[in-house]
Amino acid sequence: MNPLLRLIAFCILAQAAVLGGAFQPRFQQQSQPTPVPSPSPATSIETPTQVTTRSIIRVNSTNQAYDYQSPWQKKPSYSRRGLGVLIGENRILVTADLVANSNFIELEKAATGEKSTATIERISYECNLAILRATNPIFLYGMIPLPLEGKVSIGDSATVLQIEPNGELARTPGRISSISVAPYPLENLGLLAFKLSIPLQQRDGSFTLPAVRDDKLVGLLMRYDARNQTADIIPMPVISRFLDSVKFPRLGVSYSPLRDPQLRRYIGLKEPGGIYVTKISPKSSAASAGLREGDVILAVNGLPLDQDGNYEDAEYGRILFSHISSTLTAPGGKVVLKILRNTKIEEITVKIEPMDRSNTISPSFIADAAPPYFILGGMVFVELSRPYLQEWGVEWTKNAPQRLVNYDAFQDELPTDRGKIIVLAQILPSPDTLGYDHIDNVVVKELNGRPIKSIADLAEAAKHPVEGFQKIELEEDPKWLFLDAASIEANRAELIKHYALPATERLDSATSALP
Amino acid sequence: MTRLLPLALALCLSAWTHAAPIAESLVRIEAASQEPNYKTPWSPGTVVSGVGAGFVIDGDRIMTNAHVVSNARFLTVSKEGDPKPYTARVLHVAHDCDLALLKVDKAEFFNGTSPLEFGGLPEIESVVSVYGYPIGGKRLSVTRGIVSRIDFQTYSHSGVDSHLTIQIDAAINPGNSGGPVMQDGKVVGVAFQGYSGDVAQNVGYMIPVPVVERFLKDVEDGKYDRYIDLAISYQNLFNPAARRALGLEDDDRGVMVGAVYGGGSSDGILKAGDVLLEIDGYPIASDGSIRLQNGVVPLTEIVERKFRGEKAKLVIIRDRKKQTVAVPLDDPWPFTLQSNAYDEKPRYVIYGGLVFQPVDRNFLATHDPSNQRLNYSFDFFVEDEIYRDRKELVVLSNILPDPVNAHTGDFRYSLINEINGRRIQTLQDVAQAFAKPEEYYVIKTADVGPPIVLERKAVLASTENILKRYGIASEQNLEK
Repeated sequence: MNPLLRLIAFCILAQAAVLGGAFQPRFQQQSQPTPVPSPSPATSIETPTQVTTRSIIRVNSTNQAYDYQSPWQKKPSYSRRGLGVLIGENRILVTADLVANSNFIELEKAATGEKSTATIERISYECNLAILRATNPIFLYGMIPLPLEGKVSIGDSATVLQIEPNGELARTPGRISSISVAPYPLENLGLLAFKLSIPLQQRDGSFTLPAVRDDKLVGLLMRYDARNQTADIIPMPVISRFLDSVKFPRLGVSYSPLRDPQLRRYIGLKEPGGIYVTKISPKSSAASAGLREGDVILAVNGLPLDQDGNYEDAEYGRILFSHISSTLTAPGGKVVLKILRNTKIEEITVKIEPMDRSNTISPSFIADAAPPYFILGGMVFVELSRPYLQEWGVEWTKNAPQRLVNYDAFQDELPTDRGKIIVLAQILPSPDTLGYDHIDNVVVKELNGRPIKSIADLAEAAKHPVEGFQKIELEEDPKWLFLDAASIEANRAELIKHYALPATERLDSATSALP
Repeated sequence: MTRLLPLALALCLSAWTHAAPIAESLVRIEAASQEPNYKTPWSPGTVVSGVGAGFVIDGDRIMTNAHVVSNARFLTVSKEGDPKPYTARVLHVAHDCDLALLKVDKAEFFNGTSPLEFGGLPEIESVVSVYGYPIGGKRLSVTRGIVSRIDFQTYSHSGVDSHLTIQIDAAINPGNSGGPVMQDGKVVGVAFQGYSGDVAQNVGYMIPVPVVERFLKDVEDGKYDRYIDLAISYQNLFNPAARRALGLEDDDRGVMVGAVYGGGSSDGILKAGDVLLEIDGYPIASDGSIRLQNGVVPLTEIVERKFRGEKAKLVIIRDRKKQTVAVPLDDPWPFTLQSNAYDEKPRYVIYGGLVFQPVDRNFLATHDPSNQRLNYSFDFFVEDEIYRDRKELVVLSNILPDPVNAHTGDFRYSLINEINGRRIQTLQDVAQAFAKPEEYYVIKTADVGPPIVLERKAVLASTENILKRYGIASEQNLEK
């Protein structure tokens, strides 16, 4: 569509909307504390503000995560509020952390307070983005999708939008101070982000905030550092990849800069720049392509890398090479790496796919999924995961059982057929577990002589007691535990009643209804 | 204040009747000790002084706590009522049970003293008197309390050893350490540890006579050997299903062996799942306790009273069959890495400004590293048999900045795996690897990262400057 035509269309719709909401009391104008002069709704076509007020909507999400220590129940619910951006017909862009583990999502028009429920059309915790859809599309009638802005450079200004309690927009101008690959909050994947220098006020509902420039969307604010007054913005290249393919391809290499001249001489590196591959993730795209630890990556798609791994991006300047492999390339696409291996220069083509995480031993992030568990005579078994360890609080790496932390930290070094780490998480005291009450967080090796690699394995093995006993072998003290198989069955109903358990097992991680 | 005074007077008066003979045997110990700093292992350490108590025993010896005289460079002792300090020396020290014996250079010191005699285990609720110099002070102080509990307790001086301990309700403060705890004119314990006031009040601990006597017997041959250990873990057997599965009767007897630590006394003799029924003829209850003349104690008390080379006779059930085994007892070497060490010089190797150190409890107490692999390897050194791969945990502990290492990455606290293909088991291996002339030294760590590369030429050119700049007398110390 011709941009001019589009603008005109916006204008008409906006006028209609203003008419519809003409009953707005005047004092709202006066009480608006924003330092930016705010033109009245009646100003001309060129004024961007008129457009944006009709393109953003309040999103209230009630979220509830599972209690990983008592996996049959959920933790108390909490609500998060943010501002979604209408980017297409019934498509509202928000950050994923706003709606992670959501039970109930509500859209609210800032001006009128009208509400509608919403569902998630797509979500990615890699890039922290989601698209919501109003259950009733009529609700969004009169709203105007915001066009996306791709061309942004360091030094450009951008305005972050917030909504005052009275429904008015608060606009805070800021300036883009740097553009680089930075870790994203949920899965810790490094993707392109803008840093915006901006003095933002803490307001209710700041989980997703749009950043706009010249009536176009520049990106979504994903975190704000109040002390340094900087905001990280999810920029358009990442949003485009998300809209395009949802998933982000991953090379699967860890690397180290190559600044040390002694190391460079030792590996016979004469070219400038280059980075040292320190680890290849098992089953990753890099592993399939035969990339190895110790290889030096000199160039990606013909673009030479400096000794920190940056290439010269036509738009954004010096950017980490992973931007090419994870965002600029579509899943299934190819990148060509120029590498130094055993003092010889080689070229290697890598077909990059999204990371297959179905076999991850201890997932680092889980949302919208119920953790599997199995209860045997009061013994609660779960699969090891980062969310389980995070139940020990912010200092979980120090406070959680160290053997489990170690399994999580070095899971890549475990045999590929290791399967899940099954943990005897706690024991609900019962006549069957008499004398076992001090045991928790120990790793299960076998049940009834069968190796245990999943909760489902455990449930299967429990069907085959040995000489009338459930015989549990642990990796650590106390090594062996025994339960009376018949007695467990006889006491099962009592246990369920006593501890009000909804079920004694959940064998698969049931996901909530997401496409 | 006025309310406190009568109480203090009353205590003094009541103690007075016993105090006269005991005061003749009580010794005030002043120690100037030098604790090395594991962050600057090449420095000899800061000198600090402390006060403790001791008492004269037979053979013109003074008994005190190991922690009173640890790392001591200069010791003086003085008698109650005689201001003259005499120089003293450590005759024997046992860090694993916090006891030490001192010698005084001039025999005249012992004129007018009378050696104290040892009693037995006091009864619960019986009254005992604690003698010492709490919170400094030059004059004898006596407090009274009753015996609250007799149980195993970790001895905080080593941090890993636990032995029989008597808890009393008289406060034990710094300066009480090493002083005798008396009952009926005999020593029933050596005061040694307590809690700070914010944890628990009126709780003090003393080392009971069985532990003291074992120490005295151990040093009869002129040297102190460590305690010995079965080197197993065991679990209670209360669970009826577990008892039946293991073929046991419902008689509340027996414990199940969990871990058998490799290289320990029981390695190859016991195995996980064995049930221990008897030790040296004493029946073992299902909580691991046995009944001795003086009461109920953990089964390990039998082992505690034995010496290296002696055997523990065990009746066990394995595969539902009863059998008798004898475990020759030895000291548990991998455990010593996890205990506090004293009277040792820190060991290190410096090469190209890179500082390599073996990790022990002393090291961790100073450095508090956040390296997950290192912390795991230390915590599970015994349990997961890390010592089979690494006799010591050698890490790169620091980088002393210099042009030669200006670009060496962030490898602080990484465990060192190999240098030029040589597997690093001990700090000695590091020294040997660098002693062999090579063009490049390639150091591989246990963590993800490129190798650390040092060029010999560059290192040699920088060494003198580094040592001078950081005030280091020697590039390495390999001796404890």
